[in-house]
Amino acid sequence: MVRRASSYLLVAVLVLTLLATMAGAGAAPRLPDLPKPVVDASAPDIGKYGGTFVTSTFSDPRTFNPVVAQDTVSNTVVEGTTSSLVDQNYLTGEMEPALAESWTVSRDGRTWTFTLRDKLVWSDGQPLTVDDVVFTLEAIFTPGVDGSLRDPLTFRGQRVQWRKLDGRRIQFQTPRDQPPVGLFLRLIAIPIVPKHKLADALGKGGAEFSRTWGLNVNARDMVSSGPFVFQSYTPGQRFILVRNTRYWKVDRNGQRLPYLTRYILQILPNQEASRLRFLAKETDAYEARPAEFAQLKQQERQGNFTVYDGPETFGRTFLVFNQNPAAVKPPKLAWFQDARFRRALAHAIDQNAIIQQVFAGRATPPTSEITVGNKLYYNANLRPYPYGIERAQQLLAEAGYRRGSDGFLRDAQGNVVEFTMITNAGNVDREAIGNLVRQDFTRLGIRVSFVPESFPSLVGKLTGTYNWEAIIIGFTGSLEPGTDSRNVWLSSGDLHMWWPKQEKPATQWEAEIDRIFEQLPAELDQAKRKQMYFRFQEIVYENLPMLYFPYLKTQPAIRNTIGNVKLGLQGHTPGLPGWSVPATTTYFKGAYRP
Amino acid sequence: MLRYVARRVLNMVPLLFGVSLVSFLVIQLSPGDFLAEIRLNPVVSGDTVEQMRRNFGLDQPLHIQYLKWLWSILRFDFGYSFAYQVPVGWLIGTRLLNTLILNLAALVIAWTLAVPIGIRAATRQYSWSDNSLSMAAYLGISTPTFFSGLLLLFFAFRTGWLPIGGMTSLDHELLPAGARVLDVARHLIIPATVLGVGAAAGLMRQMRGNLLEVLRQDYVRTAKAKGLAERPVIYKHAVRNAINPLITIFGFEIGGLLSGSAILENVVGWPGLGQLILESVIRKDLYVVMASLMLGSVTLVLGNLIADILLAVADPRIRYD
Amino acid sequence: MALAWQQLRKHRVAMVGGAILVILYTLALFADFIAPYSLDWSDRGHFYHPPIMPRFIDAAGHVSLRPFVYETTLADPALRIYTIDARKQHHLRFFVRGEPYRLLWILPSNIHLFGVDPPGRIFLMGTDQFGRDLFSRILFGARVSLIIGILVVGITIPIGMVFGGIAGYYGGRIDNVMMRLVEVIIAFPGFYLLLTLSAVLPQNMGCTTRFYMIVVILSFIGWAGFSRLIRGFVLSLKEREFVLAAKAMGLDDLRIILKHVLPNTSSLAIVVATLAIPGAILGESGLSFLGFGVREPCASWGNLLSAGANLINLGRSPWLLIPGFFIVLAVVAYNFLGDGMRDAFDPRLRTG
Repeated sequence: MVRRASSYLLVAVLVLTLLATMAGAGAAPRLPDLPKPVVDASAPDIGKYGGTFVTSTFSDPRTFNPVVAQDTVSNTVVEGTTSSLVDQNYLTGEMEPALAESWTVSRDGRTWTFTLRDKLVWSDGQPLTVDDVVFTLEAIFTPGVDGSLRDPLTFRGQRVQWRKLDGRRIQFQTPRDQPPVGLFLRLIAIPIVPKHKLADALGKGGAEFSRTWGLNVNARDMVSSGPFVFQSYTPGQRFILVRNTRYWKVDRNGQRLPYLTRYILQILPNQEASRLRFLAKETDAYEARPAEFAQLKQQERQGNFTVYDGPETFGRTFLVFNQNPAAVKPPKLAWFQDARFRRALAHAIDQNAIIQQVFAGRATPPTSEITVGNKLYYNANLRPYPYGIERAQQLLAEAGYRRGSDGFLRDAQGNVVEFTMITNAGNVDREAIGNLVRQDFTRLGIRVSFVPESFPSLVGKLTGTYNWEAIIIGFTGSLEPGTDSRNVWLSSGDLHMWWPKQEKPATQWEAEIDRIFEQLPAELDQAKRKQMYFRFQEIVYENLPMLYFPYLKTQPAIRNTIGNVKLGLQGHTPGLPGWSVPATTTYFKGAYRP
Repeated sequence: MLRYVARRVLNMVPLLFGVSLVSFLVIQLSPGDFLAEIRLNPVVSGDTVEQMRRNFGLDQPLHIQYLKWLWSILRFDFGYSFAYQVPVGWLIGTRLLNTLILNLAALVIAWTLAVPIGIRAATRQYSWSDNSLSMAAYLGISTPTFFSGLLLLFFAFRTGWLPIGGMTSLDHELLPAGARVLDVARHLIIPATVLGVGAAAGLMRQMRGNLLEVLRQDYVRTAKAKGLAERPVIYKHAVRNAINPLITIFGFEIGGLLSGSAILENVVGWPGLGQLILESVIRKDLYVVMASLMLGSVTLVLGNLIADILLAVADPRIRYD
Repeated sequence: MALAWQQLRKHRVAMVGGAILVILYTLALFADFIAPYSLDWSDRGHFYHPPIMPRFIDAAGHVSLRPFVYETTLADPALRIYTIDARKQHHLRFFVRGEPYRLLWILPSNIHLFGVDPPGRIFLMGTDQFGRDLFSRILFGARVSLIIGILVVGITIPIGMVFGGIAGYYGGRIDNVMMRLVEVIIAFPGFYLLLTLSAVLPQNMGCTTRFYMIVVILSFIGWAGFSRLIRGFVLSLKEREFVLAAKAMGLDDLRIILKHVLPNTSSLAIVVATLAIPGAILGESGLSFLGFGVREPCASWGNLLSAGANLINLGRSPWLLIPGFFIVLAVVAYNFLGDGMRDAFDPRLRTG
């Protein structure tokens, strides 16, 4: 009798435990002081706490003020110590909730309402509310505060409107005409700054605000809402971030992130020093140059690291010819404006030699403006222009350019085809590319000279005097060119390099690109945007305002003791400096530096 | 003497004025300006760039810009850096000490090597040791610093004895004071040696040459003929006279304390003034460049002054009035 | 003068230095002829190729009196490994026909001292990133690096002498004003002056024009210090008897300065020259390292070295550092020569 009762009891207990576990498994993690933290599901492993992660960068940051920060190194600090309403997932590129837990958009696409997470706090314990969001926006638009955050939020000269609804909700309104529904989430991903720390400075004016939280900041004055908190900066040497114990993200087990105790960036003067320190095991990650990939692969065992065959970046390098009638006179103008001329020269670029000699094989032949690294929008139907001097000469002949008896190429009027190519001195890769291209163009009979110039001089010509003929230059890119390349592709844009600030589009194809870029932001459906980007790439491919050079691959090298290393778009990895993937889920698998 | 010093110091004023004018013109003459980087950022519109230009005061005519700068300098306000948005004084101050330490260490190394070796080479002219020391000296000055710096960094990496560049270790802040000094000293070894040996070579040859000249002087030969032992003759009389031109050089070197190490700082990663100025010149961060050029000039002139004073102290025949 | 020359010849080390320089300058002068390939010639299939020396013993162990080379193919571009094809031999030939050039800038010719028939290659010092023969480029680079010092000194010395001579001779207010101007230039930290001036240079000038501009800039730094030196010397010289005698004879000042005073400073000038030339060579290499020196596709030892001096090459392609050796060689040779000349010109250092 007793035995049967105890076995019933046992079964009951087992069943109850089972039920309880099942109930618990469906519930989201909760932290005692944060009802709905964000769960970082991208990380493969659950990590261990502890460790100092060390990596390197090449120059000092310029400011720690998120509103004015523009350069890469400053942005590394900003990414590590701030948060936005929404965040980009580094693996997929999609926008996800961050400080905002949800949002709605009105039917006409004009009005966005964001709801902040409940009980968010800054690293000093002060609450993070809509007041901080409003304050950030006010700061961005204060005269005298100069940064790159203002223009993305200005649509056709009108700034975005915002309104605080209550302590947790804020509402945005965009202009009536073609509201940027498709891209708004990307544009609103601005870093939020603390009102309680910066209100005084803003009160003193824009110039004063721009100088607050500069390099001479007192660490105690800085608070963070990101995974790390700023601790110290030693000029020319390093800066140190420490774990934010009040961060709003958790791992799948509900443990508060980040795992690391400290994150240190060493400021090293050049690539050589950076590489040596990595090999000497003084740093944990290293962004290797293309030429180093093969050699580093051989040293993997000895150095206890892995060098990854990273994907291509979104950046592109290209050659542009000046088609601006205000700057270039005939006969040169006629050649540069002739699409057949440009297409012929595209066949004279030895992409393979560039890939092998300049990038040691770590690059891909190019087609158009969006690179193969952009998994969402790359148009794989286009084939790279094949290299062939004979083909180039044939195309030139068809367009009316012939070689004289002296070997020089002449146009139909008998003028010798000659021009000067420039690029920024000191960029070894561009100088190498320029050299190769110069040699090939010379084989066509063109009198080319290639002159690297100082960067300010180059930019002065490109954006000021327009006194140039051909430039080799490059841009970094993003997933949605519609957000950040408008100034380049709109015919009225300042950076429409071959003919900026046109009053109306000079050619059919430029007009078509204008239409595409006007429609892109308003298009909510990603599939339709993809069609538009495809067509955009086709137009560029046919008309070649820019002649592209190979798309670069990345090869990050990371110590094997580091866990949760997963390469995302452009080869970005949590912890690798300079990009928007702070070391939130990075941890040390074995022994670590305390 | 005091009047002389006062006069020299007063002379500095028009000198510095001249230097500042020349620097300003030279920098402004080169094409482009600080806003080059931002102009090429596709996210930023042309209007924003124009606004920045106004905020930095770069849209004003040149003479107005210069006069404004001059006026603030006279009130010891060195302006703000465009790139860093911090006071130029603060920016330079953080690096000044580091460069001073490096160059002083190099100076010490150079002189402790050069003087005795130079003396030895002179007293055994054309001997095996003279020639081999000369050879070593020449090798010291013949290698471009960026090259020798790179080789030494690689050597440090290979052997693991010395730090690979930089000035402090990772946990420098946590070390006690004594250990902190040692930490910097360890990091100082490679760059100071490269600079020091390079300078020592030139100094050594000067020392040797000067001493040789003095040794041929009549009064020295007289002293020797009179039977005075060689050692005291050399060290007391000859060297003291031979050192005279070296004092002038010493003055130049004090003047060069702030500017001589720029390339090496770049290669080795020493967080000094040279690095800062190099990138500021390239970026055209106007006020940083102006302030550091003024600083460099002041130290140069002061160095010369110190050298002249030391000369007067060392050689009683010299009189300034 | 003749006495000094005799003295110099006794100084063995200086003679060695002089001999080295003569060899280097001859190589530079006849670079087109001696170099098997031209400055810009490149073989895209053979980049980062190790040096190819002529062999006398082939793979099978047979000795051949005629030196030859093997053909190579690129096996691994990332690791820069080449494999030798032992079946394809090319004999080294002398006085071969190659790229056309103008001997001594006048005589058109296309005969080169040595070479091999294509597709054989004779890369005595390997190739660079683009497959350009380093040996040929070093020879052409010698033209820039060796001439730069002489040109700089050729500008600095006369200007410095005249300026310093006038200031020292007249003394007083003229001296004051001139020396103030000189001080402004000296007070300017030389390195930054170099930097800013290089950055000011208009950019699309050809190789040679840029080269001359760099010469001018380097001279601009040097003449001030030199004129100060001359001025000091002249200040003491002008009280000497021969000057007073010339004055008494009624010669005008300019003639006195030019024909009597300045020639006595020549020993000083020569010594300074032989020590300033290596300074210019090193200065040019420093400028190249920073990107402000002579630019591609022109070669100078400085820009060859700074292009080659990185750790990847140190490990994989160390031949790219050979230009550094040439810089050191030239500078050391000049220093030996300069020392010898200084000793030779100093009357008190006469040895029996």
